[in-house]
Amino acid sequence: MGIDHFIGLGIILFSIGVIGFLIRSNVIVLLLSVELMLNAVNFLFVVFSRFVHGGSTGQIYVFIIMTVAAAEVAVGLAIIVNLYRRFRTLDVSRVNLLKG
Amino acid sequence: MSHYQVYLIIFLPIMGALINGLMGYSFSKRSITAIALGSVGIPLLLSLGIAYDMLFLSAERKVMTDTLYRWLSEQTYHIDIGVLLDPLALVMVLVVLVIGFVIHCYSVRYMKGDPGFRRFFVYLNLFVFFMLILVAADNLVLLFVGWEGVGLCSYLLIGFWYDKKAAADAGRKAFIVNRIGDCGFILGIMLTILTFHTVNFSELKTILMNDHAVSTTTLSLISFLLFMGAMGKSAQFPLHVWLPDAMEGPTPVSALIHAATMVNAGVYFMCRIFPVLEQAVHVLPFIAAIGLVTAIYAALSALGQRDIKKVLAYSTISQIGFMFMAIGSGIYAASVFHLVTHGFFKGLLFLGAGAVMHALEGELDIHRMGGLAARLPMVTATFFLGILALAGIFPLSGFFSKDAILWGAFERYGVFYWGMGLSAALITVLYCGKLFGVAFLGDTRFNGRIRKPDSLMTIPLVVLACFALLLGGLGLPMFSEHTIFAQFVEPSFFMPGAETGVPSAHSRVLEMIMTACVLVGIIVTFGIALRYFTRYKDTMMDRAVTHTTVSHLLLTGFGMDKLYHVMWVRPFQRIAHLCDTLIDRLLIDGGVNGTAKLAAEIGYFFASLQAGYVRYYAVSIVFGIFVFVGVTFVVMP
Repeated sequence: MGIDHFIGLGIILFSIGVIGFLIRSNVIVLLLSVELMLNAVNFLFVVFSRFVHGGSTGQIYVFIIMTVAAAEVAVGLAIIVNLYRRFRTLDVSRVNLLKG
Repeated sequence: MSHYQVYLIIFLPIMGALINGLMGYSFSKRSITAIALGSVGIPLLLSLGIAYDMLFLSAERKVMTDTLYRWLSEQTYHIDIGVLLDPLALVMVLVVLVIGFVIHCYSVRYMKGDPGFRRFFVYLNLFVFFMLILVAADNLVLLFVGWEGVGLCSYLLIGFWYDKKAAADAGRKAFIVNRIGDCGFILGIMLTILTFHTVNFSELKTILMNDHAVSTTTLSLISFLLFMGAMGKSAQFPLHVWLPDAMEGPTPVSALIHAATMVNAGVYFMCRIFPVLEQAVHVLPFIAAIGLVTAIYAALSALGQRDIKKVLAYSTISQIGFMFMAIGSGIYAASVFHLVTHGFFKGLLFLGAGAVMHALEGELDIHRMGGLAARLPMVTATFFLGILALAGIFPLSGFFSKDAILWGAFERYGVFYWGMGLSAALITVLYCGKLFGVAFLGDTRFNGRIRKPDSLMTIPLVVLACFALLLGGLGLPMFSEHTIFAQFVEPSFFMPGAETGVPSAHSRVLEMIMTACVLVGIIVTFGIALRYFTRYKDTMMDRAVTHTTVSHLLLTGFGMDKLYHVMWVRPFQRIAHLCDTLIDRLLIDGGVNGTAKLAAEIGYFFASLQAGYVRYYAVSIVFGIFVFVGVTFVVMP
């Protein structure tokens, strides 16, 4: 198992996140997709830290990112709750007031 | 006489105008009146003193010149601010100040209740100032300053009641028509400067008296251009249309500006440049022809008017036509004499008309007056004297001056011209008879209520009536070149080169016979007209006025206004409309709005990218990543 396999897994995870973000319309699923992309990147941090850099800096960053992601999810979920209260739906295609 | 007196005469009226105009907002009516009357009354006394002095001076010393300062100087010529006070100018100064003072007094009563009381007297004083500048100027350019100044005051006073559309329009019309004439005036001044290198009247006269190399064509052109200015200001035939409309102004203004002084400025101006006219052989007959056409045309128009002030306005045009006939015939003294007498009796008639309007609460239509003689005896008596003077009946002033003009015209241009002039005079008599017969005699056709004029209104009438009655005395002895008036103004018209033909006893007899015939004709016509129009009934009058084309033609002044409307006003409106739609709206507005619209369209295009759908944003982010990665790894290396 070389670095290529790990990078490939990271790409697959990220792509699933992107595609999920693009094709689903439930806001909660979108949030999950975003988290998936975030974690794909985290995973790559660990991979590059292990195979390329050789130190533990990358792995430490992962913890920082996880913390931030937790805070972000809290904010995101709060927004989603408010969104639901306001629009009575979680379908993003029906939340389109902000436009030019 | 000292120069200070002259400057005092000229500058006191402007002092009055400035004091009342700049500081008068807190003054009482009484002090405004005192300042306005004082600033005309004191110059009047001073000018009377100068006139008395001048009577006893020798001919050469009667011409007084003084230069206040040099206005501008070029290499070849210079223009001064200076005065030239000779008998001709003095006569004009006296006319302006005497009539001006009388009308100031009259206005105090006439304008009493008007909210623009102070403004009125400011304008009136300003007018007197500019008129004095005009008559006392010693060069063409300074004369032009006064000329435009009186034009301005005329505009301001015609449009005095500016919230009335007709008055504002009439003011504009007067201003615009005068511009046409003034255009010629300015070109004339330029040509004078180019030709003679001077604009000073005395210097011009000296040049022209001696041998000079100026061609007759140039002189004719100068005279013609300057005469154009005179035509505008003095309302001669093609440019007369503003004067009947000018009657929208207050009646004292009509009397002072549009009858007695300003409109005569053209006549005075022609007399000032008589040395040029004398040698411009082609222009004198032209002036005579214009004068004749105007005299007949305006007299006919006056015959058809219903508005008392418009009758008098057309009559003024007609009488100034007579003055220009005199100038065209080369008898300047007679022309000025008619100017003086006309100024007084026409001023009187206008003030009388004002008194009638005052009595009838603003009624202007003569067909709705009638029978005023019994109710307003004083006004009627003075008005009748004015009418007699205007008609030219023997002992009154108009007879002497008009007779001199007719005879001069006969001597110069022969019997046909004389006959036409006589017919103009007879039409004058007809409308005089009609005016007096319809408005003052016959049945009462108004509602019977009348406001009696008080003494402040009637005294000016009496004063002017005395002048109208007695001024003819200056035309004595009759049948002579050397009347009192002619002798007084002689130094102004003195040309050593000109031959003074001594008329034979034969022509004297002819003149007497012709005068007698004219007088008989006038009196008979007047009698018939008076009798006919007094008995004219209201219904007949209405039918005659509304249903016949001739009456309509006369009422509208032969449709000159309509002609000008078609000839000038409508094409200008078309051009303005074209500029509006094509240039302004299409080109300029289109350009400006187009630029704005272009920016907006670009903005709308990019704004549409922000659709509000999260998915679109996600797609564009992903797309952007692909582009970025593609460019970085595929295109760039």
